[in-house]
Amino acid sequence: MGLVEIATGKVLSSFSVFLFLTILLLVVARRISTSVLLFSVQSAIIAAEVFATGFRERLAEAYVVGALILAIKVVAIPRAFFGLVDHLKTSRDVKASTTPTQSVFIAAAMIYLSYAAVHSYGQSVHVPEDALAASVALILTGAFLMVSRNKALMQMLGLLVLENGIFLAALTTTFGMPLVIEIGVFFDVLIGLLLMGIFAFRIRDTFDHLDVSKLRRLRG
Amino acid sequence: MILLMPLLIALLGAFVVLGFRNPRVATRAALLIGGLEIASLVVIVWQVHERGALQVGRYLRVDGLSSFFLINIAFISGLVLVYASGYLRHTGEGRFSSPRWFYALVFLFLFTMISVCLSANLGLLWIMMEGTTLASALLVGFYNTEGAVEAGWKYLMVCTVGIAFALFGTIVLYLAAVKAGMNPAAALDWVSLMDAVPRIGLDPHLVKLAFLFVIVGYGTKIGFVPMHSWLPDAHAEAPTPISALLSAVLLNCAMYAVMRYDAIVSRATGSGFPHTLLLIFGLLSMVVAGLLILVQSNLKRLMAYSSVEHMGIIAIGLGLGGPLGLFGALLHTFNHSVAKSLLFFSAGNVRHNFGTLRMDSISGMTRTMPQTSAALVVGSLAIVGLPPFSLFISEFAILSEAFAQARFLVVGLFLVMLSVVFGGFAYHLLRLLCGDPQSAPANGKLLSSEYSVMGIAGVCLLFFGARIPHIFTIILQEAMAVLR
Amino acid sequence: MKIAINVLQALILILGAPLVRGIIGRLKAWIQRRQGASIWRPYADLAKLLRKEDLVPPSASWVFRCAPIVLLGATIAVAAFVPVVQPSAVLASRGDFFLLVYLLALGRFFLSLGALDGGSAFGGMGASREALVSTLAEAPFLLGLVAVAILAAHADIAGMVTWTLQQNFFNISAVHILAFTSLAMVVLAETGRMPVDNPTTHLELTMIHEGMVLEYSGPSLALIEWASAVKLHAMLALLIGLFGPWGMASSVSVGAIGLALLLYCAKAALLMVLLAVIESGMAKLRMYLVPDFLGVASAVSALAVIFTMLVKR
Repeated sequence: MGLVEIATGKVLSSFSVFLFLTILLLVVARRISTSVLLFSVQSAIIAAEVFATGFRERLAEAYVVGALILAIKVVAIPRAFFGLVDHLKTSRDVKASTTPTQSVFIAAAMIYLSYAAVHSYGQSVHVPEDALAASVALILTGAFLMVSRNKALMQMLGLLVLENGIFLAALTTTFGMPLVIEIGVFFDVLIGLLLMGIFAFRIRDTFDHLDVSKLRRLRG
Repeated sequence: MILLMPLLIALLGAFVVLGFRNPRVATRAALLIGGLEIASLVVIVWQVHERGALQVGRYLRVDGLSSFFLINIAFISGLVLVYASGYLRHTGEGRFSSPRWFYALVFLFLFTMISVCLSANLGLLWIMMEGTTLASALLVGFYNTEGAVEAGWKYLMVCTVGIAFALFGTIVLYLAAVKAGMNPAAALDWVSLMDAVPRIGLDPHLVKLAFLFVIVGYGTKIGFVPMHSWLPDAHAEAPTPISALLSAVLLNCAMYAVMRYDAIVSRATGSGFPHTLLLIFGLLSMVVAGLLILVQSNLKRLMAYSSVEHMGIIAIGLGLGGPLGLFGALLHTFNHSVAKSLLFFSAGNVRHNFGTLRMDSISGMTRTMPQTSAALVVGSLAIVGLPPFSLFISEFAILSEAFAQARFLVVGLFLVMLSVVFGGFAYHLLRLLCGDPQSAPANGKLLSSEYSVMGIAGVCLLFFGARIPHIFTIILQEAMAVLR
Repeated sequence: MKIAINVLQALILILGAPLVRGIIGRLKAWIQRRQGASIWRPYADLAKLLRKEDLVPPSASWVFRCAPIVLLGATIAVAAFVPVVQPSAVLASRGDFFLLVYLLALGRFFLSLGALDGGSAFGGMGASREALVSTLAEAPFLLGLVAVAILAAHADIAGMVTWTLQQNFFNISAVHILAFTSLAMVVLAETGRMPVDNPTTHLELTMIHEGMVLEYSGPSLALIEWASAVKLHAMLALLIGLFGPWGMASSVSVGAIGLALLLYCAKAALLMVLLAVIESGMAKLRMYLVPDFLGVASAVSALAVIFTMLVKR
């Protein structure tokens, strides 16, 4: 077998392990830049998975989507985040509401939950259990990050991780949706991030901080 | 070709309006473009009525159901644009805060909502639904105050997460269709799915999972109860015309999406599961929103919770199914939007004249602002479902269906919550309207734009309450036929 | 013949330990753009210390004098457990990984007692901190080893190494990656390396391990230094053996042994570089953050054990 074939096979069979590692590291990261870097690594792993799937299934669209992921989620979005952190002049701390120990135990529980969930549905869908469990774990991690991190930027990052999980679920089960839809989804994510960036600036200007746990004026 | 017209007009109109720096010229241009927009929508509805469903390419399609919602969009956007032309005399300073930005964003918002109603492809539906969130976020945070920014952020976050779950549901449905043997290129096309589903067997577990995620996801946009946290904030802090657009049009578009999915899922696995979910969410929304109405202190938040409650009523109508239930639900989407617009317009007047929306600092409105008080009374009587207003008809239809199906728990909760809401509204309104005026309003007179628009809305409510125009009934029946 | 190789392995671990320390120190100096001491310097230090006089505080008892000996004895016993060039060792089949963990604990326990016995304030402080770190490190240590043991269906180190040797390198197992992560964190904590403890600090308030040995001098200090070097070497060899043993000799021929030794040196070099980079790149954690660090290791190792159920590999 060619070297590319071997590499493809290995990527497909073991990438979910590295995704779990990025999840665990993401929940204990204490600085925004570390979290963004981990997100970038995560997206790179997913891009590798897309390329490997495209090679194995002979789908030309997969290469386009993989290139998009590399360009947008691995390079452009992390750069934008670093720029935002600089311009917003906010503290680099993540302002987590759970200690690292609690976070990583919650992350471990979520990984176990995702395996349990996939196991009960796995029979009807013939996909590798690991990959689907990784995608569910990513979704749960994104939700957890949004809930437990009190910085506006970290909520945006949690949303991006959630998107990653949903995209991975689509990839592993149906090898992706039609290309037009994928591009539309990317576009939406980008514009969404742009708007969230604008709002982050507005929050900083109006409230002088970026701590969303203190946005509690509207109640009832 | 005519399908593309409203989309093009809205999109190009947004950029055109942005070019006029003078607010008055921009306003006139916006009204003109709005008029064109409504005209094109009416043309489409007429064409559909004459010739049946139309399709352009693979992604755009209009049938009876879409045209019904297009009527809704056209009517309310017309009212809103006219109202806004007078209301925007007093916008705040800052970036993105001039009238031309307002109208540009409104037209973008309309573009996305019309695209939702015109999508033939579930993927495009999702993309445009997310687009509505993005287009309206800046509108919600338009005033740049602390409350507006917080509301805008919450809206953006909660709705994006919700819609992400809806994406997951879409993917699961796509997966079920592809696994059952459908051509991947057609597995997201609504018509192909409706055709193929009775013939090929979709895995029921996957389809149910898909619907669960879709109803949670799009339900976030509709405002069903556990996911409604963004709604009171966004609808209260947005500028009044935008609140009207959000409550009256956006919620209906999201309900439209759920209806499309409900049709497919009911065909695939029978209507037990989806309708049960709709009933649960509907009843939950009615109960929680109804109870929260009693303790509100802000006028627009009161109306926002009332929107949640009415979305619950529509969901109950859909969940009951049957001809009367479906008829009631669809009619209610229209009636509610008219009544809610009227209420929000009056609230806008209150805000403009009293400077606040806190209900405990306003009283004696009947003496100081008689016309607005009248509008408020008419709107409130309509919204709690009293005859002779149109909401009575739709709610009565839904109740009849519930009786016919012998679902007495639903009937009981429905009637109890209607009474609770009536009591709440009566309490709040009596405090607002009666008694001695605490503070004098800035200017008790209404502008002609505001006056006319509220008048039209009120008349429509009365008219539809007396007798629904025949043509409307026919369009409604065509819409129902699509869903069978 | 095999027994001779086993003894040779143990001798490599014991005698080569100061060299490992020296190489790591030199690497750190190179990363930090310093000149650095020679890699043979620890041997010279040990020789110097052995020539000096052993000063004992007047209030100390026999515990103070015994502690270094017990520590060295326990650590040498641990070194006898770990395979280097072939998948067996002197004591490898006589005890399982529990014995290994608790031999280390025995040595550490006596060192803490000796520090308390010395009567100085810093000894007490170092001993209490060391107690905290080792208590928290025990759980991930055991769980990580348990995860590997469950997969290997063997409880003794030699059995685990043999099982890993038979696996395909490219089928990266989730259990192994997680167990490696948590055991690596434990190694950092147990051997008193950054970010848990700074081995080169001279500020007493930041010391954990160094604080315990402040009162020792002369040959006792030499024994303690040597014991900690052997501990580091043995744990590195344990990591290599459990997670990357390919290349170990399967037959008792000069060529196979020679190749295995070469490969072991290469892997050890890799781990040493990694350790030097981590030590130079991270700042020492403040004491109240060390439980978080070890808590993460615990969760990762617990996840590794859970994964042995989920992953059918």
